[in-house]
Amino acid sequence: MPQLWTEKYRPKKVAEVVGNQDSVKTFIEWMKSWEMGKPSKKAALLYGPAGVGKTSLVLAYGREYGYDVIEVNASDWRNEEKMKSIVGESSQYASLDGYSRKIILVDEVDGIAGREDAGGILALRKIISETRVPIVMVANNPWDQKLASIREQSLIIEFKRLSKTALIKRLREICEKEGINVSDELLSKLAERSEGDLRSAVMDLQAVAAGKNTLTEKDLEVLGERNRVREIFEALRYIFYAKSIRGARAAIEGLELEPKTIYTWVLDNAPTQITDLDELAEAFDLLARADIYFARIEKLQMWRLMKYAIPLMTGGVAVARRTPPKGFQKFTFPHKIRLLQQYKNEREIRQSIAMKIASKLHLSKYKASKDVLPYIGFLISRTYGSKPRITEYFEFTIEEVEYLNKIYGRVEEEKTEIKDVKVEKPVKHSRRKSR
Amino acid sequence: MSLTTVATLPWVEKYRPKTLNDVVNQEEVITSLKNILKTKAVPHMLFAGPPGVGKTATAHAFARDLYGPNYIEDGWFVEINASDERGIQTIRDKVKMFARQIPMGGEISFKILLLDESDQLTDDAQHAFRRVMEQYSSTCRFILAANYSNKIIEPIQSRCAVFRFRPLLKKDVIGRIKWIAEKEKLEVDDAALETIYEFSEGDMRRAINILQASASITSKIDEKTVYYILGYVSRGEIRKILELAMSGNFTQARDELRKLIYVQGLAGSDIVSAIYRELFYLDLAEEDKLELIDLLGEVDYRIAEGGTEEVQLMAFLARLAAKSRKKMNIGR
Repeated sequence: MPQLWTEKYRPKKVAEVVGNQDSVKTFIEWMKSWEMGKPSKKAALLYGPAGVGKTSLVLAYGREYGYDVIEVNASDWRNEEKMKSIVGESSQYASLDGYSRKIILVDEVDGIAGREDAGGILALRKIISETRVPIVMVANNPWDQKLASIREQSLIIEFKRLSKTALIKRLREICEKEGINVSDELLSKLAERSEGDLRSAVMDLQAVAAGKNTLTEKDLEVLGERNRVREIFEALRYIFYAKSIRGARAAIEGLELEPKTIYTWVLDNAPTQITDLDELAEAFDLLARADIYFARIEKLQMWRLMKYAIPLMTGGVAVARRTPPKGFQKFTFPHKIRLLQQYKNEREIRQSIAMKIASKLHLSKYKASKDVLPYIGFLISRTYGSKPRITEYFEFTIEEVEYLNKIYGRVEEEKTEIKDVKVEKPVKHSRRKSR
Repeated sequence: MSLTTVATLPWVEKYRPKTLNDVVNQEEVITSLKNILKTKAVPHMLFAGPPGVGKTATAHAFARDLYGPNYIEDGWFVEINASDERGIQTIRDKVKMFARQIPMGGEISFKILLLDESDQLTDDAQHAFRRVMEQYSSTCRFILAANYSNKIIEPIQSRCAVFRFRPLLKKDVIGRIKWIAEKEKLEVDDAALETIYEFSEGDMRRAINILQASASITSKIDEKTVYYILGYVSRGEIRKILELAMSGNFTQARDELRKLIYVQGLAGSDIVSAIYRELFYLDLAEEDKLELIDLLGEVDYRIAEGGTEEVQLMAFLARLAAKSRKKMNIGR
């Protein structure tokens, strides 16, 4: 089964972690100090841009040296009982008798700083001071004032963007394992686009190369169109895979896009990312609620309602999505945009037909399109090829006649005798209600 | 009868009443209008009544009887469809252009403007339109046509003579269809007439359209012909969407829904109504149907409230898909 390459090629050993070798060394030393029973600090705060290996290092270390890495959801540490059971019971941390040892990994720790969640920070502080197992926190930006006390308790380790050379080297390794032919030049382009973010580079690579033997310049064009879009794809990934509503909400913060625009991306990616129908229905319930908030914001100019719409449209889908998708599901452009482009011509033809019918028959364009156009289409298709006067009457163009014939004509069936046609009682028309 | 004869021009146009005497089954209205014609003292008028009973046709017939056969060409009469004109400003501009000049030499000193589907105007637009009516009333009389007179604001109603058009009775529709059939040398049997009436729901325009489409197949029209036509023109698009969702193919259902909304331009409220009609016949447990009816009501309300049509309808389809999946699992 296909798998996210970012998971498949996550480092299994510390030595496989790409780049930031000084930071890696600092981290190892800190862990050794725990193993000696004398930790320099109770917690470590790994910070730096996304996709440079912070979490990967912790996971690789745990795997290599026999630790269970317990990922703590941001909302968990407010639950004291639960934290005690995780942190407290691990008194055998120092014993070397083969009991499983633990590392507690707290993701998105900067997520709590910006919010009004002072309680969350207090709880975390308390846990750090009491813990008997190493606590590793991960953040993009640790310099928020509210995190000051936590910074004091922690060993701060910085991670930098990865160099282009390091990225290319890793991408090359992956391509070799996947059996993909690719030039250095193309890998270099992929690396450049990612701006030192290995995860997004690997994501991009999988998006363009999965299932191919050779990667060409042309394959990369898909990515080329979406310089800015890459950011949205990234955000979508965070939204759909967030572990908390807060994390999902934070994903759209840096984007220079209207929430309404992001909404259209979330809306159209939901059906491919959420495969379980119950979960999908749940997600759409929440998206439909968010839509109502957008409507109210517009109608009443109540911009403060935005703070309800955003968690519903981001955290909503993350919470609803419980079953992981089957394999790698690409994020895509909003399908609606494609559909409108694809059918632009047809839409215009139909409108033009409706307008001609409306003006001749004293109707609104809407009624003409909905109530009368099908009958006219039927008549036209019946006489297709003979240029009937009705075509002249409405002054339809050749293109318009072609359209009507295509939609309302069934050329083969015309030869069928009426009596052979299976009569199925169609649903009754009803009068149009107010729009 | 050859096809080309049938498809010369739309019969709704061919058999549209030309004078007030031709209008079917609106005796009270016609009597009053004839009195107005005698005095030529034309008030603003509101024509209220269901679709396809002859409101627009009556307005045209009235103008023709008043100004003569070239009532449009000579610039006496114009019609605007309120549901096509986006803002009140466009309507105001059109009225201004139209009412600015009075054709010289006639004994009548005003023109007539027909505002069709005037109940489609928002309250704000209606208030603005009321001022337009006052501003131009010396040179222009207005006929407002509407399905629901209660959707027309009080100040406009009070400035108009209100004419209520009766819904057409079965005998009116069947009588007219028989009359056209005779003119077109068609044989239409009783069952076919019944069916045409049933599906027209009293809308003469629809009844005539069904007849003309049927006539393009055969000159001997029976029930089967009519059903064939109805199946043809309705194309079962809504049912197809529901079936796609029920088979778990949400994405395709979504795409088809979008085509209806964005390519065909169908209004969300009309899609809701169509889904409502289908809902009772779906292969679902009764309690699931109830839940979906409730949800559809919510969708209907939310669209009226300003919710996005496609989003609210997608939420419905997703729920329908989930319900059907459950049913399939139980069936296994």
